[in-house]
Amino acid sequence: MNRSSDTNSSSTGKVKRSAPARRSLARPLTALAALVVVAVAVALFLVKRSGPESSPAAASSNVASPEKPVITTTGWSKGNLSAKTVLVEFGDFQCPSCAVARVKVDTALKKFEKDLKVVFKQYPMPHIHRNAMVAAQASEAAGKQLKFWEMYEVLFARQNEWVNVPDALTFFLKYATELQLDVEKFRQDMLDGEIRNKIFRDLLEGQVAQVRSVPSFFLNGRMMQSVKSDAEFEELIAQAIRTAQ
Amino acid sequence: MRKTAWISAGIAALAFVGMVDAIYVALHRSRGFLLPCGLAGGCDQVLNSPYAAILGIPVAWFGLTFYLTTAACALFALFGFEEALRLSFALVSLALGFTVYLLYLQAIVIRAFCDYCLLSALVVTLIFVFHLWSRRHSRGEEKT
Repeated sequence: MNRSSDTNSSSTGKVKRSAPARRSLARPLTALAALVVVAVAVALFLVKRSGPESSPAAASSNVASPEKPVITTTGWSKGNLSAKTVLVEFGDFQCPSCAVARVKVDTALKKFEKDLKVVFKQYPMPHIHRNAMVAAQASEAAGKQLKFWEMYEVLFARQNEWVNVPDALTFFLKYATELQLDVEKFRQDMLDGEIRNKIFRDLLEGQVAQVRSVPSFFLNGRMMQSVKSDAEFEELIAQAIRTAQ
Repeated sequence: MRKTAWISAGIAALAFVGMVDAIYVALHRSRGFLLPCGLAGGCDQVLNSPYAAILGIPVAWFGLTFYLTTAACALFALFGFEEALRLSFALVSLALGFTVYLLYLQAIVIRAFCDYCLLSALVVTLIFVFHLWSRRHSRGEEKT
């Protein structure tokens, strides 16, 4: 750096050797561009490496070992209810990743409509999501009027309306009205001990199965780990369906 | 190489580590999948918390902006624009304050720690230490 400054000075012949070096914007900008390119490349490499390899054999290693506790397939279900391949999701209605995952699950379900059953289990994390538990209660209360999936859609699609409000119940009652539920029954059911017990049963099942974050997916009873793309998620399901047939 | 140049290079290297960290988290989160979390184990709890975004923008993007600016300042300083370090010092002072706030959130409010956030906290602290070193060195030069 200093050497090139000296060269610049001496090449002009008019600048004294001790004068400040001529400063060019090109070099720091080039260095910055190089640094950014390398940083992006390294991050992409790490993202790729943290996920599985693309070969089917390696892809299957994304599914945790069968020694893990087996997950029950009862709960709110959709798809082909008698399908041999079952995808169980432990989700929290206030979790942004769960809202993103909902789209992914729906896409997979459309693709494998005949061969896949999807089960949703409650895994609210009220210590980090203050309205998660009441949202779980709202979905279960809607389920009592056979509109669990309708409420599930609304809760995720309009998550940003209610996540940070002190009284989320107001919003849930509004959604219940929009879904044409019996609002008074809905309100009473939300406080029902049976619903709370069901949520806690789901939570307990998740904890036993070592669910540590949401959303957590189990494919035929095995936890799916480090799945890095929607395509890979679908490939794992396709593979499970092929194996089941 | 002058001592200031070494310090600038060190800051640029640390900013590079911070950039990789922020890009990695941002990329993972944008896909909506779980983040591998080896040491602290609470990445998803932290990154799914309401504190993981400000005005809807993930904190990782703020981190990336900070590291990018810091890297730019350090490289400009390395190539003769030493006054850029003043801007960098002001930024890292703010970032250090924000880091303390994020650590408080993880320890007290969320009660979970995220590896990537801890790495970022370490990088910000080291950048701050490098700045202090640089300023001490500059003052020493002024005295002589």
